Amino acid sequence: MSQPSRFTIFWRTVRGRAYPRIIGLQREKSWFFFDVFLPLLQVAAYVYIYRVIEAPTEFVGFVVLGGAMTAYWMNIMWNMASQFYWEKETGNLELYIIAPTSRMAILLGMAIGGIVATTVRASVVILVGLLIFRVPMTVTNVPVFAGVFVTTMVALYGLGMLLSSLFLLFGREAWHMSELLREPIFLVSGFYFPVRALGFAIAAAASIVPITLGLDAMRQLMFPEMLSHLRFLSPHVELALLTGSAVLFVTLAQRSLAFMEAYARREGRLTVRGQ
Amino acid sequence: MASTTRVRETWRSLRVAAWLGWQIESNWADPFVFAIYSVIKPIAGALILVFMYAVIARDGLENPLFPAIFVGNAFFIYVPTVLSGISWSVIDDREHYGMLKYMYTAPLNVFAYLAGRGIAKAIIASIALVITLLLGIYALRVPVAFSTIDWPMFAGAALCGAAILTFLGIALGGVTLITARHSYYVGEAVAGALYLLCGVVFPLDVLPSWVRWIGQATPLTYWIEAIRRALIGTGSSAILARLSDGALLAITAGSALALSVFAFVIYRLAERRARHLGLIDMQTMY
Amino acid sequence: MPTDPVIRVDELRRVFRVRRREAKGQRREIEALAGVSLAVDDGELFGVLGPNGAGKTTLIKILSTLLAPTSGTARVAGVDVVENPWEVRRHISMVSGGESSGYGLLTVEENLWMFSQFYGIDTQTARTKIRELLAIVGLADRSRTKIFHLSTGMRQKMNFVRGFLTDPEILFLDEPTLGLDVQTARVLRDYIRSWVDDRPGRTILLTTHAMHEADELCDRVAIIDRGHILACDPPATLKRNLQREAIFRLRIGGLPDVEAAVADVAGIEQLTQTRRDDHTEIDVILDDENALGDLLGSVQQGGGHLHSLEKREPTLEDVFLRIVGYGFEEAEEQIT
Repeated sequence: MSQPSRFTIFWRTVRGRAYPRIIGLQREKSWFFFDVFLPLLQVAAYVYIYRVIEAPTEFVGFVVLGGAMTAYWMNIMWNMASQFYWEKETGNLELYIIAPTSRMAILLGMAIGGIVATTVRASVVILVGLLIFRVPMTVTNVPVFAGVFVTTMVALYGLGMLLSSLFLLFGREAWHMSELLREPIFLVSGFYFPVRALGFAIAAAASIVPITLGLDAMRQLMFPEMLSHLRFLSPHVELALLTGSAVLFVTLAQRSLAFMEAYARREGRLTVRGQ
Repeated sequence: MASTTRVRETWRSLRVAAWLGWQIESNWADPFVFAIYSVIKPIAGALILVFMYAVIARDGLENPLFPAIFVGNAFFIYVPTVLSGISWSVIDDREHYGMLKYMYTAPLNVFAYLAGRGIAKAIIASIALVITLLLGIYALRVPVAFSTIDWPMFAGAALCGAAILTFLGIALGGVTLITARHSYYVGEAVAGALYLLCGVVFPLDVLPSWVRWIGQATPLTYWIEAIRRALIGTGSSAILARLSDGALLAITAGSALALSVFAFVIYRLAERRARHLGLIDMQTMY
Repeated sequence: MPTDPVIRVDELRRVFRVRRREAKGQRREIEALAGVSLAVDDGELFGVLGPNGAGKTTLIKILSTLLAPTSGTARVAGVDVVENPWEVRRHISMVSGGESSGYGLLTVEENLWMFSQFYGIDTQTARTKIRELLAIVGLADRSRTKIFHLSTGMRQKMNFVRGFLTDPEILFLDEPTLGLDVQTARVLRDYIRSWVDDRPGRTILLTTHAMHEADELCDRVAIIDRGHILACDPPATLKRNLQREAIFRLRIGGLPDVEAAVADVAGIEQLTQTRRDDHTEIDVILDDENALGDLLGSVQQGGGHLHSLEKREPTLEDVFLRIVGYGFEEAEEQIT
């Protein structure tokens, strides 16, 4: 058989690795209950917190949007970043490593395969927000909103690939560190309330996580009456920063994956199981 | 003789599982990193709620609901931690370590084993709880004082809480036995739902009646309320306020008992199905 | 015109360092390979034979780019495994014994197709090859079975198919028949041999601790112990060196320590002793058959009585014993 080109291998790998994710959703339908319905109830809890403390209506919208974007963040951490750790534990990582394919292609395949379930979850949260909690959501600038969403996704998935290189080397320790950072990131990235409420300095520092800027921009575009003291930067500035983040994270991810793999190979950590 | 053997078997299962759980939880980092993990995580979790009140509520942290909500939220740390600990141990043993089938062929009491696997997580949750309460008492002026705590009520509620979480974990462990490994911790997903339904971060009364009954039928609701009364002398719900302390504790204990039966039945049914379909050693990661 | 070896290893060393908090009183450095050198020619079925813990898997991991050496060089298909692992991967595939890879929810065919995509094989070609290979290994009727329903042997057959599916130039087989029943192992060994024989330019490096497997399959065998290559020749040549000696197996009752009883007998080259329930079994290599009489005399004087005596053809274990001075079992005990 003649050798296929790198490009061919890349896209066929993406397709191949996306396949188990998509098929898994059809064969094990309980994901809808555990990965969509139950998390939706947690979002509803935050809606009721805001109602009880008599927050302005748009805060309910903020938390609904935050809950929808949480789906993507969790997808990044669970289904992409940490995936090499799980693959190592089940014996698949070796086979990925010896295949003449890009690690980014494997991760992209995982991400694309997982995005179906993630988008269902996010959509259900938005729908419930609109229909049950009657959150008024209107997008004031659709092209900018779409641009913000897409660049946030690219930057986020780039970050996920970068983090996956850490999981390649550190495995279980990286897993626990990501668990450690979950609440702090939820706190400072503005999942539940506008990040500006924490002060400019913290908001700026938290902008390293793409979701911080993405959420803030999307909130401003969906809730134009959003209190001015809760806005961080203008959506156009945030879009530009997100574009830069996307390029940066994807580039860093490529380099980091190669570096970490070589390092893990030297340390003998690529095939260590049962950590 | 047979009962003595059973007791010994139960104790051995619990002891070994607790040891194993601790080995797994504690071996990934040096003590310094582990200490940071134990401090940062609960504080960040508590601060989410604190900021929501401080920034958005009309009277900020002086809101009369805040102490009850803070205490409820603090003790709720146990729920996702223990539920995940027990249900994830099924997934871990089944799919990553390939050990579940060996446990099933060993003379173990599976309920004691699952409870034991939750103990390490409960210890970690206890550290998180203490840190959160200290933050609340000293930084946020939550009115919890050693001299005013109703210790008998607290002890009763704590015991009931341990039982409730164990039984819930066992039920969830059974469900996990026959479901695939999906994206997230199943225990945390269930805890997320309980967060809404059990009056943890807002009074139960706020929920629409067609949802509220679920919370009223859930033992955790009464446990959280009992803990609040023991620590700060008051709960958060007008509906539950009609119950005396004794009645509240009795309902908590009674519902824990009912939950135990439910949990054992669910687990055994799931186990039978798993055996019938050959799922004890299935691999489902995708 | 002689061609370059497809696999060339020079003074390969690999040292594993155990982290302090994991060492807990044990050694912190483990030398898995201690300066290994070998060369495998194009079209060879090359075996690496040694006890558990000898370094076989470490060697294969380095050659398959899963592990970097501490020092020394390794080239596969003319490419350095450290400097250009991606290029190496275009030429290789690997199958390990006891592998549990794949996704349980997918069928056999789906898993194999997925792995074929990592090599850029188009779907039609992949499906055709999958069907052919599944038929060869006797798994055609299970192509639509989810893999978590497969038995160990079936799983290993599927892994086998995965390894051959990409038609690699160089295939690494790491204890491929581990844990399989006799019939399944035979089917797979037959296929391994035919695959190399029927395809010019295809090479296999096989690691095993099963003597008969190496004997049966391999064109050449390297014997490895404690990270050192001790011998490297065709199996027949290795055994021929022992043909001059006489090799016997004796079963002796009533004398637990035969070795001590015959210590003064001249002409004993090598002796290994294994205690069984009701007798002691010794494998002995003698300079000369005539020493057998003296040996039996000493046994009788020590109070032992002979249950059985058989003269054997030398095996690779005898070769190992001759070179190293102890058998496989003893070698494994020493390593652990």
